[in-house]
Amino acid sequence: MRFACLAARAAAPFLLALAAHAAPVVRTEHVEAQLVSDVRSAQPGKPVLVGLKLRMIPDWHTYWKNPGDSGLPTRVHWQLPPGWTAGEIHWPYPQLLPVGPLMNYGYEDDIVLLSSLTPPADAKPGTADIKAKVEWLVCKDICVPEKGELDLALPVSGAPPEKDPRFVAHIERAQDMLPVQPAGWSSAAAIVGKSLVVRITAPAGAAPPDKVTFFPEREELIVPAAPEKVARDGQSLTVTMQLADPPPQGVTSVAGVAVAAAGWPGTDGRKALQVEAPIQVSLPAAAAGSIAGGAAGFDGGIGGSFLAALAFAFAGGLILNLMPCVFPVLGIKVMGFVKHAHGHPSVMRAQGAMFAIGVLVSFAALAGTMLALRAGGAQLGWGFQLQSPVVVALLACLFFILALNLAGVFEWGAFAQSMTSNLGARGRYADAFLSGVLATVVATPCTAPFMGAAVGFTMTQGAGLALAVFVMLGVGMALPVFVLAFFPALLKRLPKPGAWMETFKQVLAFPLFATVAWLAWVLGAQAGNDAVLALTMGLVLIGLGAWMYGRWAHAGARWQPVLGALLAVAGLAVAWPPAGAAHDAGAVASKESGWEPWSPEKVKSLLAQGRPVFVDFTAAWCVTCQVNKRVALHDAAVVKAFAARGIATLQADWTRQDPRITEALAALGRNAVPVYALYLPGEDAPRLLPEVLTPSVVLAAVENVPLAATVTVTVTQR
Amino acid sequence: MKSLAAFAVAVLPAAVLAFGSAPPGQPAPSFTVTDLEGKPARLEDYKGRIVVLEWNNFGCPFVQKHYRSGNMQALQKRYGSDVVWLTVNSTNPSNADYQKPAALQSELESFGAHPARYLMDDPGTVGMAYGAKTTPHMFVIDASGKVAYNGAIDDKRSTDLADVKGAKNYVVAALEEMKAGKPVSTPSTVPYGCSVKYR
Repeated sequence: MRFACLAARAAAPFLLALAAHAAPVVRTEHVEAQLVSDVRSAQPGKPVLVGLKLRMIPDWHTYWKNPGDSGLPTRVHWQLPPGWTAGEIHWPYPQLLPVGPLMNYGYEDDIVLLSSLTPPADAKPGTADIKAKVEWLVCKDICVPEKGELDLALPVSGAPPEKDPRFVAHIERAQDMLPVQPAGWSSAAAIVGKSLVVRITAPAGAAPPDKVTFFPEREELIVPAAPEKVARDGQSLTVTMQLADPPPQGVTSVAGVAVAAAGWPGTDGRKALQVEAPIQVSLPAAAAGSIAGGAAGFDGGIGGSFLAALAFAFAGGLILNLMPCVFPVLGIKVMGFVKHAHGHPSVMRAQGAMFAIGVLVSFAALAGTMLALRAGGAQLGWGFQLQSPVVVALLACLFFILALNLAGVFEWGAFAQSMTSNLGARGRYADAFLSGVLATVVATPCTAPFMGAAVGFTMTQGAGLALAVFVMLGVGMALPVFVLAFFPALLKRLPKPGAWMETFKQVLAFPLFATVAWLAWVLGAQAGNDAVLALTMGLVLIGLGAWMYGRWAHAGARWQPVLGALLAVAGLAVAWPPAGAAHDAGAVASKESGWEPWSPEKVKSLLAQGRPVFVDFTAAWCVTCQVNKRVALHDAAVVKAFAARGIATLQADWTRQDPRITEALAALGRNAVPVYALYLPGEDAPRLLPEVLTPSVVLAAVENVPLAATVTVTVTQR
Repeated sequence: MKSLAAFAVAVLPAAVLAFGSAPPGQPAPSFTVTDLEGKPARLEDYKGRIVVLEWNNFGCPFVQKHYRSGNMQALQKRYGSDVVWLTVNSTNPSNADYQKPAALQSELESFGAHPARYLMDDPGTVGMAYGAKTTPHMFVIDASGKVAYNGAIDDKRSTDLADVKGAKNYVVAALEEMKAGKPVSTPSTVPYGCSVKYR
């Protein structure tokens, strides 16, 4: 080593002669500035550390990259020979500089700001003239901006560089003050009310220091002058800081430097730890020495994966079979199979296949319609069918007719006869196909828990992928009937056909009547009281018509069945809601005390006031929404928890078409209701709750939101 | 006596707790202080009008940037009829930057500045209530008395006069949006400048 140094010394005597002169010192009123390097020469293509040495007169300070409440970081503009490049400033950790009620982060006495300079690989031996225009703000009680033009003549030589003993100590001290990222340490952060909590966890076998000071890199993240609270808990250390007011927006992680006077274990006594802590929903208790990752929280999202979306769609489709509006229709189908269990397997298979095709075709048609309308610029989402009062009224009539049929008021001609199998094959297939279509139509009000995510995903995809997702939904829905048709052995597990089937059929009428009642209520929310009267009067006419048809059609009477059918048509006409039966927006929302109508501006302004906001994206036609409301959101404990935490509750009512809500849903990656979003001040993205709520799910979500006493922003009125 | 007061401010944690804030959307803290002529000025006096608060200290190079470039005076003139422009000085009399009313009057004249009033907040109570951190630190209060903007004067954080040109002036943006009846799109920014000399 010594020989090598000697050789280099011998090889480049003239370079050394140049480097013997230290770079000139620039003196201003408050600062002495100089460029220094710990080596006497640079090698082509190899980075060399150059320091900006600032020596402040006593009690004056310059600033760190985040200056704190006021001030300005020192700036270096390099002017380098051609081909040279300069890296960013490596900032040594700062110190706290209180200024009355304010706090600054910076340096007193002297400091070296390091930068890495790299000569080009083809640099010619000689002297590189390195210049830097440097600007700093230096303050004590008053502030003075100063600047200097510094230069450093750095020889370039192929020989290995020799240390320059005059500045080695300076550079080493600056390097010791750079934050380190030792292996095994982890960190996480959370925003809890008006506090920012950063947790640093030591690797197994190491213990974090007791006292640290955290310096965030981002300005206006915390109140720098508010005292930080530090607590140690076994392997972990938490620093609690006061969030800035207004709280910062768009924070997903907290970067900063944690400084421990005692040094960090396992780092050769280095005092500064670089922290990059992702913001998490909640900080799990310090357990096995590491922090469980993932900020996913409650979000039942699908991560944008296509296969996952297909899986969700499939599962959602399966669940649709159990929905109160679908089950009776399937029940009839399955009962048909039960009757045929001992018939020709091939006929049953064909019927099962036709039913499946009916379901798939209608899903594809529905999706195609929606995609076409969206392509035409309409803001539509899943469930859009029910945003039209006409569709709601027609569905109510349809369900009513189906219910009357099941209750035994009348028998369809063809529909009933196909069940008893005395019709031609074509009729049977048409019947099976239509059952599939019917099942899909009646399924639309029932947004199954997983469909929100799957349908939301499709909207961000191309039309082809979106169709695939919808078809998968159909596959899920058609599968149980299809399987029963293909494996009649399964049917043998069902009870034998008999009188019970008639009873069962009649019982199934009642979920349908319930559906009619609910649709009437939806219509009321959409188009008002008059529309409900029209609908119910229409239903009375339809009921009368159905009764006449049922009473006389099979008795061979001529005019009564025709009159019955005419009455039913008249009923439809009466039930048809008047065009433009638009009703005040938020008709449903305004009926609920404590819930205010949603608007994006309202969310923003409430958050700006430091209030957490819970948004219920709902619609009258969404059954899941209504169930969640009754079971969870109106639960006494939940209402109390919301009130105690000062959580503003907003309702985004999608009962009728509202492009702003469609847009907001899309921003959350969803395209269907229900969606429950909890916005917390200082958090960029809301936390999404599952689509099926229980009181405990909601309570867990708001658990970490602090009580209102500390949330409410207090403004000093003088 | 002065040093005792400074000591009290430095060591009492209450000094930190008293440091308030005026986030956008919240009612602006009311105040009563005296102006250069010694007349009392109250925020309530300007109810129903848009008020601009400008934290000032002519000893601060960041303030000098905006006065020596003529930027601040131009804003005061441009909005003179639409808004009430109140320049506030919260410099503590113990600080080297402190100037007496007479000296401030001549500074204003030499710069050709036109604030509606220049408010003397020697004890720093108004500055602390608003959480004014820097000079300049700008606040815009809407006609309903709520804070509409809180933050820097512009987006070029420097003491360089040349940076005034080409900078995005947040106060202008806020006032123009308010005039057009639109919500302020950037209601808060990080203020830059010298610290307000509260001691």
